[in-house]
Amino acid sequence: MKISAKGWLATTTGLGTIALLAVMIWWANGEVESADRQRRRMSDVARVLNDLRLVTFEYVLYRNQRAYQQERQVSARLERQLEEPIFSDPEPSETLADLRRRSGETRQLFEELQANTNSRAADDSAQKLYEELISRKLLVLHQESLVDAFRLTDYSTARIAQAQQRVVGVILAGLALISLATAAAGWLIHRGVLAPIQRLQQATREVASGNWSFRLDIAGSDEIGEMSRNFDAMTTTLRNSFAQIERSNQELAALNREIEAFSYSVSHDLRAPLRSMDGFSLALLEDYGDRLDDEGREHLSRIRAASQRMGRLIDELLGLSRVTRTELVMRDIDLGAMARDIAISMQKLHPERDLRWEIAEPLIVRADKSLMQIAMQNLLENAWKFTGKTANAVIRVGIGEANGERHCFVADNGVGFDMSFADRLFGAFQRLHHESEFSGTGIGLAIVQRIFRRHEGRIWVQARPGEGATFFFSFKEPSHE
Amino acid sequence: MNDGNKVILLVEDNPDDVALTLRAFKRSHLMNPITVARDGIEALDFMFARGDFADRAALPTIVILDLKLPKLDGLGVLKAMRADPRTQFLPVVILTSSKEEQDLISGYALGANSYVRKPVDFAEFLEAVKVLGIYWLMMNEVPPQGTAP
Repeated sequence: MKISAKGWLATTTGLGTIALLAVMIWWANGEVESADRQRRRMSDVARVLNDLRLVTFEYVLYRNQRAYQQERQVSARLERQLEEPIFSDPEPSETLADLRRRSGETRQLFEELQANTNSRAADDSAQKLYEELISRKLLVLHQESLVDAFRLTDYSTARIAQAQQRVVGVILAGLALISLATAAAGWLIHRGVLAPIQRLQQATREVASGNWSFRLDIAGSDEIGEMSRNFDAMTTTLRNSFAQIERSNQELAALNREIEAFSYSVSHDLRAPLRSMDGFSLALLEDYGDRLDDEGREHLSRIRAASQRMGRLIDELLGLSRVTRTELVMRDIDLGAMARDIAISMQKLHPERDLRWEIAEPLIVRADKSLMQIAMQNLLENAWKFTGKTANAVIRVGIGEANGERHCFVADNGVGFDMSFADRLFGAFQRLHHESEFSGTGIGLAIVQRIFRRHEGRIWVQARPGEGATFFFSFKEPSHE
Repeated sequence: MNDGNKVILLVEDNPDDVALTLRAFKRSHLMNPITVARDGIEALDFMFARGDFADRAALPTIVILDLKLPKLDGLGVLKAMRADPRTQFLPVVILTSSKEEQDLISGYALGANSYVRKPVDFAEFLEAVKVLGIYWLMMNEVPPQGTAP
C-alpha cells in the first residue's frame, strides 16, 4: 500500500472515531436531558400529589367549602399533568397508568364523599362510618400515588446517572480507540517511513564516501520502495559510469605514456639523421669545397639549412607537447617585469633595431611562471618579428578591461593581417606570411594558445593589414585584482 | 699543449655520430686517443678491463656518454660506474639528443659531471666539443688514481 493511502486511511480512521464520539456524546446528552425532563415532571407530579393529599386531608377533617374548592383545583391540575405520556419504557409507563387510574379512583371517591357529606343527616352514624371508610381509603390511595410518584422520580434519577455513566464510558472508549489509532499510525510511520529513511541516510553517507556497491534493497510497493529502487538504479548507473571513466582514464594514462615514449624517441632518433645531414654537408663543404662550384656549395648550404630547420621544427613540436604535459604551478607573477626582461635580451641581440617598448608594470597575474615565460617570449618575438619592416615601431604590453573581464594584451603596429585568417592563426604549422618575408615555424602561437588553454584562460586577436596586431589574453582569475 | 696519454672513452652507438664527434675533436685540435664503445656493456668492459678490453692500458680520463644505447643504456652505465670505487670520480659528460627534463635530472642525480645536448647544427656542435675538451682535458684537475675510499 502506498504511504499516501496509509496516511489517508489513518486520517479517516481518526476522524471517523472522533465523529462517532461526537454522535455518542450528543445522543447521551439527549438521553440525560430527556431523563432530567422526566424527573422534573415527576417532581411536579409528586408535589401536586402531596398538595392533593394535604387538601384532601384538610377536607376530611373539616369538611369546609374552601378545602373542597382547593381539592377540585389541585385535582384538575393533576389531571392535566398526568394527561401527557412521560415515559416510553413499559415499566414506568405501567406505573404512570396506575397513577392515572388511581387518580380517577380518588376523584370518584372524593365526589362520593362530598355527595354523602352534603346529603347526610348530622347524626347518621352508619353514614358517618361509611364516610370514614371512604376517607381512609382516599388517604391510602393518595399515599400510594405519592409513593409511585417518588418511585418514578427515582427511576428518572437513575436514568440520568445511567446516561452520564454511558457518556463517560463512550468517551473513554473513544479515547482508547484514538490512542490505539495514533499508536498504530506511529508504528506504521516508523516501520514504513522513518526506518527506511534512516537506511537511506546511511546509504547516502556510504555512497558519498565512495562505496558505490552499497544497495538499499528496501522492498515494498510504496513511495519509499520506489525511491529505494530508483536509488539502487542510480548507484548502479553511477558505478558503471565511474568504472567506465576509470577505464577511460587508464586508457588515457596508457596513451599518455605512449605519447611520452614517442616524443622521447622523436627527440632522440629523429634528430640523429639531421645531425648527420648537417655535419657531413659541412664536412663536404670544408674538405671538398674547393672542388665544387658555387652552385654545388649552394646546394650543400640548402641541405644544411633544411636540416637545421627541421631540427627547430622537431624542437618546437616537442615544446608544444611539453606544454601539454607539464604540471602547472600557480603563483602570482609579474608579466610586466617578465616582458621587460625578454625585451632587454631581444634588444641586446639586435641593437640595430629602433623600437619603442611601452610595458605596464607591475602586471600581476596568477599563472605558471615557466609556461608564461614561453607564452610571453613567443608573443613578444612575434611582435618583434612583424614590426621588423615598420618605421616608428612600438610594442605595447598592458592591461585592459572589456565586458567586465580583465585582460592583458601585447600590441604591435607591424604588418598585421586580414582578420579572415584569424581562426587559422593558432593552428600548428599555420603561417599567414611567406617564410621568405618573416621566418618562423608556425608553431609559436599554437604553443601560446595551448598555454592559455591550460590556464583555463583564453587568447584572441584583433588585427588589420598594415596597422598591426593586438593579442588579448585573460586568465580564469579567482579573486585577484 | 695536449697530454697524449689522456684517453677519451666515447660511448656512442650511431656510427655517423661517432664520425662527426671524432671530426669535431680533430677540428678542435684535441689529439687525445679516443676509444669508442658501441654499447653500455662494452663501455663497462673497457673501464673495468674485462673481455675484449682485458689488456687495456689505463682508465680513460673522461667518458663521453650517450644515453640511448643498446644492451645497457647510458644511465645504467653511469650507475655502474658510480657504484665502483675505480670509476667513482671519473668525469662523465652526457652527450645526447634528449633535452627531456627527466633525463637531465636522472643524469645529474646519478652523478654526471656535465650534460650537453647534441645540436643539429654541426658548427654549434663543434663549439660545444671545443669547450668540453678545453675544460675537461686541460683545465680540470682529476683526483689521483687509487684514492677512492
